[in-house]
Amino acid sequence: MTDAQRFRELFYQALRIRLVEERIIALYPSDVIQSPVHLSIGQEAVAVGACQELEKTDLIFCTYRSHAFYLAKGGNLKEMFAELYGKVTGCARGKAGSMHLTAPEVGLMGSSAVVASTIPHAVGAALAAKHLGKDQVVMAVFGDGATEEGVYHESLNFAVLHRLPVLFLCENNGLAVHSSQSARQRYAILEHARSYGLSAQHIADGYDLENVADTISGLVRRVRQIREPVFVEIRTYRYKEHVGPGEDFHCGYRQREEWWSWKQRDPLEQHPDLRDMMQPSIIKEIDEAVEFARASPFPPEEELLRDVV
Amino acid sequence: MMSSNVAVIPSLNAPDITTYGSRDEGQVISYRDALLWTMREALRKHDSVMIVGQGVDDHKGIFGSTVGLVQEFGADRVMDTPLAEEGMTGVAIGAALNGLYPIQTHIRADFSLLAMNQIINLAAKYKYMFGGRYDVPMLIRMIVGRSWGQGAQHSQSLQSLFAHIPGLKVVMPSSSQTILETYPAVIEAYRGPVISFEHRLMYDLQFHVDASWIGTTRDPFGSRLVRQGKDATIVATSIMVLEAMRAAGHLEKVAGIQCEVIDLHCVSHPDWDLVMHSVEKTGRLVVADTSWREYGVCAEVCRVVAERNPGCLQKPVVTLGMQPAPCPTAKCLEDLFYPDLRKFVDALATLVIGNPGHGVSLPDTQSMADVYKRFKGPF
Ligand SMILES: Cc1ncc(C[n+]2csc(CCOP(=O)(O)OP(=O)(O)O)c2C)c(N)n1
Ligand SMILES: [Mg+2]
Repeated sequence: MTDAQRFRELFYQALRIRLVEERIIALYPSDVIQSPVHLSIGQEAVAVGACQELEKTDLIFCTYRSHAFYLAKGGNLKEMFAELYGKVTGCARGKAGSMHLTAPEVGLMGSSAVVASTIPHAVGAALAAKHLGKDQVVMAVFGDGATEEGVYHESLNFAVLHRLPVLFLCENNGLAVHSSQSARQRYAILEHARSYGLSAQHIADGYDLENVADTISGLVRRVRQIREPVFVEIRTYRYKEHVGPGEDFHCGYRQREEWWSWKQRDPLEQHPDLRDMMQPSIIKEIDEAVEFARASPFPPEEELLRDVV
Repeated sequence: MMSSNVAVIPSLNAPDITTYGSRDEGQVISYRDALLWTMREALRKHDSVMIVGQGVDDHKGIFGSTVGLVQEFGADRVMDTPLAEEGMTGVAIGAALNGLYPIQTHIRADFSLLAMNQIINLAAKYKYMFGGRYDVPMLIRMIVGRSWGQGAQHSQSLQSLFAHIPGLKVVMPSSSQTILETYPAVIEAYRGPVISFEHRLMYDLQFHVDASWIGTTRDPFGSRLVRQGKDATIVATSIMVLEAMRAAGHLEKVAGIQCEVIDLHCVSHPDWDLVMHSVEKTGRLVVADTSWREYGVCAEVCRVVAERNPGCLQKPVVTLGMQPAPCPTAKCLEDLFYPDLRKFVDALATLVIGNPGHGVSLPDTQSMADVYKRFKGPF
């Protein structure tokens, strides 16, 4: 693949995620999606870059902000919309909503709405991979806020202690809900991670599609080869409010200028020609997925007590 | 296999404790050795089994229940862990999701409170929340540390916290037999998270077991009718099953009162038909649990009887459990904190005969710990 082809491929995947989330925003006022949504608009390059080198058999554990990772890892778009609509054809039969997307068929494991709670699952899955001789790489995806939780520390320690094939991926958007990182942290994420003996890398520009993809892909290959944990922190920026479809620059916890400076470098804004070219087919795909969701049945009553234990 | 520990055989006091064991066969095994045997068998039979917990590989081996296993199966499968209850439970969940069967230990049930997030928010939810697409097969062994001044943070019996949560199965083995019937079957065939409350006071006890249990189809989660009687029903958990058997034995001997005893066993999913059938027959119910009565097993049994057939009760229900306080350490207070055999017998006699001046002689022994335990610490 030439560099230009590769860029177009990355651009396409990021644009697809953005357009899906923009459709969610458009649909939201109609109340067909009766579940909170945590949008990744502005952060698409991270998910796209993270998944380039992963096989379907490699596992990712995510958070409530997982639309982007679900799609980048290969999750089915129809099943995603159906899930948002609360339909039985959804990826979790209408029991997950936006915050718990899952696609085990492509290795997108459980997404959890409890901050940091799936980080140890990635470590445990890597322990199983090691024990059972599987060639998997497991990725733990979490935000900057998650690094404040005790279980994060417990997970890093154990992964290094037992040399497990995990890539810890910190998607740092500088915010936890409305709190800035400096108001919450007295450590530096990278230095802290290194203190466990982890090899840890920083990607300062989470909007550089190719560099994010190249760097993380290199790290995935490295984990696959050396079968030891590796850490990467990517600085990025969230456009929308923490949860919900709107913007919240008027609320005073962050400045519109900051957004503006990121937007200047937003790859999806830089190439209107590419966007115009790719948009129609993606919109068509989204239309079909939304129609699938709309036409699907809601879960029947017996679903209420199905799969409890 | 045989333990050289003090051989206190409860069946001396409670002749029918071996209802499903054949005493003539003569096989006796301690609770501890039953645990050790099931752990070894699990490791031997299933490559996917891994025992993870603080100190599982040390010379004491979780009160002897994992001792020697690291030498036999290696540190990869019998794994000491950092002091990280939440993290390690999460690791166990992730491992279960990717093909292992983790057996996790908490040397005191109290320490599992640090893992509540992973147990309740994750392990119990994975299957349902993701539309049935995942199983989290794992066994979490928690030990109720009651004994010798363990106090407020080392003795709690927390079954109701977990049994409250849909998505978890909670068992309370009351004998070597129930361990042998439950653990291998669960590990072999059940695909969800199971929490087992083992009782420290029973580790040293010897039980008659029925060797023919191997390969039986007994439901590992089923409640057990361990003694038949017509005058009152005792629904009990864990070591209170033994206490119930002692009380029932005493009452039969001194007053001809016949108590039926049900070992609830799986407190999250009891066999309510078995319970109701018995209460409808006897018309009198005593619930004896190892924990607080409020919002716990005692309360739950009452709820079900009240909902299903309150009219079958000839007398108000009697419940026995811990006093509503944290556990004290002074022996004199600890003895008041836990219901003893005298109180148990007194409550039963009052219930069956119908007034407190029942005249039935009470046993000399008071505290269950006095009878069952020769142990003088420290741990
Ligand atoms: C254990 C826990 N505490 C608090 C919350 C409420 N909460 C939801 S998202 C969030 C912020 C997390 O920030 P970060 O990890 O940086 O992820 P981001 O939302 O920025 O992607 C908080 C505090 C939660 N869901 N779980
Ligand atoms: Mg953040």
